[in-house]
Amino acid sequence: MKRLIYAEILKLIKQSKTYYALASILIIEVIILLSAYFEGTNIINLLLDNLRKSFYFQGSLLNGNLLQYLVLNTLWFHLPLIIMIVVSGTLTTEYKDKTVQAVMLQPVKKWQWILSKYIVAILFTLLVVIALYVTSYWLCRGLFGEGDLVVYLDGLNFFPAKEAAYRIRWAFVAGSLSMLFFAVSSLTLAVWLKDVTKTWIVCSLFLIVSNLLLKIDLGNAWLNQYSFVKLNDTWQYFFQFTIPYQNIFINWWVLMGYIIFMAAAGIFVFHKRDIG
Amino acid sequence: MMRRYLVSWLVLSSLALSAQGVDEDLLRMKKRLDSVVYFQANLQLETDISFVHMPVKRALMKFEKGKPVQFSSNDFVLLPKRGLDFSLRSLFEYPVVTLVRNTSLKNGYTIKEINVIPADKRADFTIATLWINTSLRRVESAEISTSKDGTYALQMQYQQPLDIFPDRVEVNFEIERIRIPLNFMGKGTQIDKEKLKAEGSKTGKIFMMLSNYQIRYIAR
Repeated sequence: MKRLIYAEILKLIKQSKTYYALASILIIEVIILLSAYFEGTNIINLLLDNLRKSFYFQGSLLNGNLLQYLVLNTLWFHLPLIIMIVVSGTLTTEYKDKTVQAVMLQPVKKWQWILSKYIVAILFTLLVVIALYVTSYWLCRGLFGEGDLVVYLDGLNFFPAKEAAYRIRWAFVAGSLSMLFFAVSSLTLAVWLKDVTKTWIVCSLFLIVSNLLLKIDLGNAWLNQYSFVKLNDTWQYFFQFTIPYQNIFINWWVLMGYIIFMAAAGIFVFHKRDIG
Repeated sequence: MMRRYLVSWLVLSSLALSAQGVDEDLLRMKKRLDSVVYFQANLQLETDISFVHMPVKRALMKFEKGKPVQFSSNDFVLLPKRGLDFSLRSLFEYPVVTLVRNTSLKNGYTIKEINVIPADKRADFTIATLWINTSLRRVESAEISTSKDGTYALQMQYQQPLDIFPDRVEVNFEIERIRIPLNFMGKGTQIDKEKLKAEGSKTGKIFMMLSNYQIRYIAR
């Protein structure tokens, strides 16, 4: 099993797609920082326009914490899309190049081989989220310094710099679970669809529909609370004025259940299906 | 007949003249405030606005006669535009006329309710009502209407009878409903447009606690 995982890591390292994905994340970060540099003050002014009539402001809100929060917002769409493309590609390209058959001719158990793909997909996703956190931390603070964070979530929430850094850090942790869900789901979709283009289209659709359903009332309390689409905003709970830790922990456990279910479904289908 | 007209004219003229002047107790209070050339104090701010959640903030407040009040803080702080002008500089920047509305007793002290009306268009308020303690020569509360910033109500509390500046100030103000640019909102944010329209303008409160006053007066 260890050798299979090692081999999958090597494949991931050697394919150019991985570096394109990492580079695109860095480009998105730079674009966010540039737009904040040129437009950030206007956005803040617009946001605080009403307060400006009654208050003077002492200090600046355009700082590293706000910028890192904006980078964090890539967890809605940009980051999971890139992760899904790369992760699903690790299997669909094997189908396309027919290397799956070659591998299956070796003394390798099917379930172990696909499980190693899931494990590497999880490791890759965690690496990407950590890379996003570390690069955004240094870039945002290096260029814009530290300061209080203002977030609009059921009102204007202001957080002191240290508390903001703590909330952002844990939001990345919570967000990584959502990214894991999308990564594992994309690999499961690749197991079902096999074709590269079809998988990418369905993965994109899956992500878009998940985002749309997040805003829609599903008509049932349980579905509104625990369907997977409603769990992907758990990282935002860290920006409520009072952090609802209990809800966060419950969401994490339920989301982990979904991740395990999606991976198990993919492994089961791959194991049962003929390679061809 | 002529004598009656003359008496009526004299009485009305004297009334008009008294209304055009400034109340003596207000002038005495202003004189006391004017004697302060410098002060600094530690400021602690708590906001009570339905759509703003902000932890308690701290700042250092410095006043120097003839200059705007200065603040310094390591945090981002929202400072109310009104309520920090303890010297009432903005009220007396231009000529005013006053009108005594009422006199009452509170805790054994005489409280005078005075309307302050600007006599110059450049003044940034339209009318102010001050409740001043005539014995202790200080403001107990105030209501200031401005054309730009709405109406503000101030409630002062003092630690000692002889204190010139309050140790606690409550500022009530009007604030418009918030308008948020869409690209700044989190995805989980729900906007109920009808509710927002119905709410219109809101009122907010800010509580200021002041401590460690260092005051310098004009040398006599």
